[in-house]
Amino acid sequence: MQRWLRFLLVLLIGIAIGLVYGWVISPVQYIDTTPDTLRADYRADYVLMVAEAYQTEQNPDLAAHRLAILGSQSPGEITSQALGLAKQFGYADSDIFLMQKLTTAMQAWQPSTNGTSP
Amino acid sequence: MKRQIWELLLALLAGLGLGLLYSWVISPVRYVDTTPNTLRADFKDQMRAAIAAAYATTGNLERARARLSLLGDADSIQALSAQAQQMLAAGDSGQSMQQIAQLASDLGQPQVAAIPTNTLVPTATSISIATSSSSNLTTATLVSTGTAGTSTPEQQATSTPNIFASPTARPTRTPTAAPGAPFELVSQDTVCDPNVQEGLLEVVLMDSRRRQIPGIEIVVTWDGGEDHFFTGFKPELGDGYGDYVMQTGIVYSVLVANEGTPVSNISAPSCNGDNGTFTGAIKLTFQQP
Repeated sequence: MQRWLRFLLVLLIGIAIGLVYGWVISPVQYIDTTPDTLRADYRADYVLMVAEAYQTEQNPDLAAHRLAILGSQSPGEITSQALGLAKQFGYADSDIFLMQKLTTAMQAWQPSTNGTSP
Repeated sequence: MKRQIWELLLALLAGLGLGLLYSWVISPVRYVDTTPNTLRADFKDQMRAAIAAAYATTGNLERARARLSLLGDADSIQALSAQAQQMLAAGDSGQSMQQIAQLASDLGQPQVAAIPTNTLVPTATSISIATSSSSNLTTATLVSTGTAGTSTPEQQATSTPNIFASPTARPTRTPTAAPGAPFELVSQDTVCDPNVQEGLLEVVLMDSRRRQIPGIEIVVTWDGGEDHFFTGFKPELGDGYGDYVMQTGIVYSVLVANEGTPVSNISAPSCNGDNGTFTGAIKLTFQQP
C-alpha cells in the first residue's frame, strides 16, 4: 500500500513539474497572432483609426475591408462593439463622433460585388 | 531497492508526460488579449497602413507615433519606408503607399510646436485618459500588467478627480503639394563629382516657401520606355529628394506629379576628372510658384 502511495506521490510531482514547464517555463509561444485576438482596447483603437481615415476617404468598401481583419463579424457589429468600448474607456468626444459616423455607415453598408483594394 | 528506484523514476516520467500533455495539448496557454507587437508581419503592414491613413486625416503625429510604437518595430521610420518601397516594387503606387511615405517622412521631422490635446492611444503599460465635463472631472486608467505569455493583462477603471489633461504634442504638419499648382524647373545643374553615382538624376521638389515636399511622383520617360519614382524615400538627403539612375546615351524627359511641362533633353553628362572623363550626374530643382 505504502508502495502505491509513494508511486502516486511521485506521479503527482511529475505532473506538477510538467505543468510548470508547459505553462510557465516554456509555454506555447504565439508570435504570429491575428488581429481578432487583440485586446479590446487595441481593437477599439484600430476601429478609431479606420474611422479617422473614413472621415476623409468616405469609402465604406475600403473601411469594411480594413475592419475585416478584426474577425468574422459584420463591420457594423465590429464598429458597434468598439464604440461601446470607446465610451467605456473615456475616448474624447471627437473620437466618439467619428466612430459613430463609421458605425452608421457600416450598419448600412452592403458588400459590393466589385470588391475593393486597400 | 533497485526496483523501487525504477518504479519511482517511471512514475516521475509518467507524471511529467501527463503534465506536458495537459499543458501543451489539452489545455495550452491561450492568448486572447494579445498586443499588436505579436501580430503576424502582414497584419502589421495593414496596421501601419491604417495608422498612416488615419494620420493623413488627423495630422496627429504623436498619436501616429504612439500607435506605431505598439507594433514593436526597432525603427518605425525604417519599417514604414521599407513597406512603402515594397508596395512601390509591387506596382502599388496608390494613395496608401503615399500616405505611408508621408508618415515616414513626417516622423523624421523635428517637432516644432506643441498644442495640448486629449488623446487616447492604448499602450502596453498604461493608459491615462482625462476627460472633462461641465459637472466633474474623471480619470480612467487602464493598466496592463506584464507582457504576453507571462501574465494575464488586467484592466482597472478608477474614477478620481484630476484637473490635468494629458498634453499631447501636435506637430506642425509637413507641407504637402498644393493641388493645382504645377512645379516649375528653377535650376538644372551638372554634378561632376566622382563620389556621386554615375548617371544619377537627382530631383528636389519644393513648395512656394522653399520647403521640400515628399511623396510626389516623378515620371521619367525615354524613347520606348517609362519609369517612375517618388520623393521622400531618402529623408537623410531631404524630404523632397528623389533620384533615378540614367543610362548613358539615352535622352530622358522628366515630368513632376503628372502635370505641368516635362523637362526634356536630360541625359547623363560627361565630366573631366583627374583620371580622365567619367559620367556625371544631373540635379533638377523644381518649385511651385
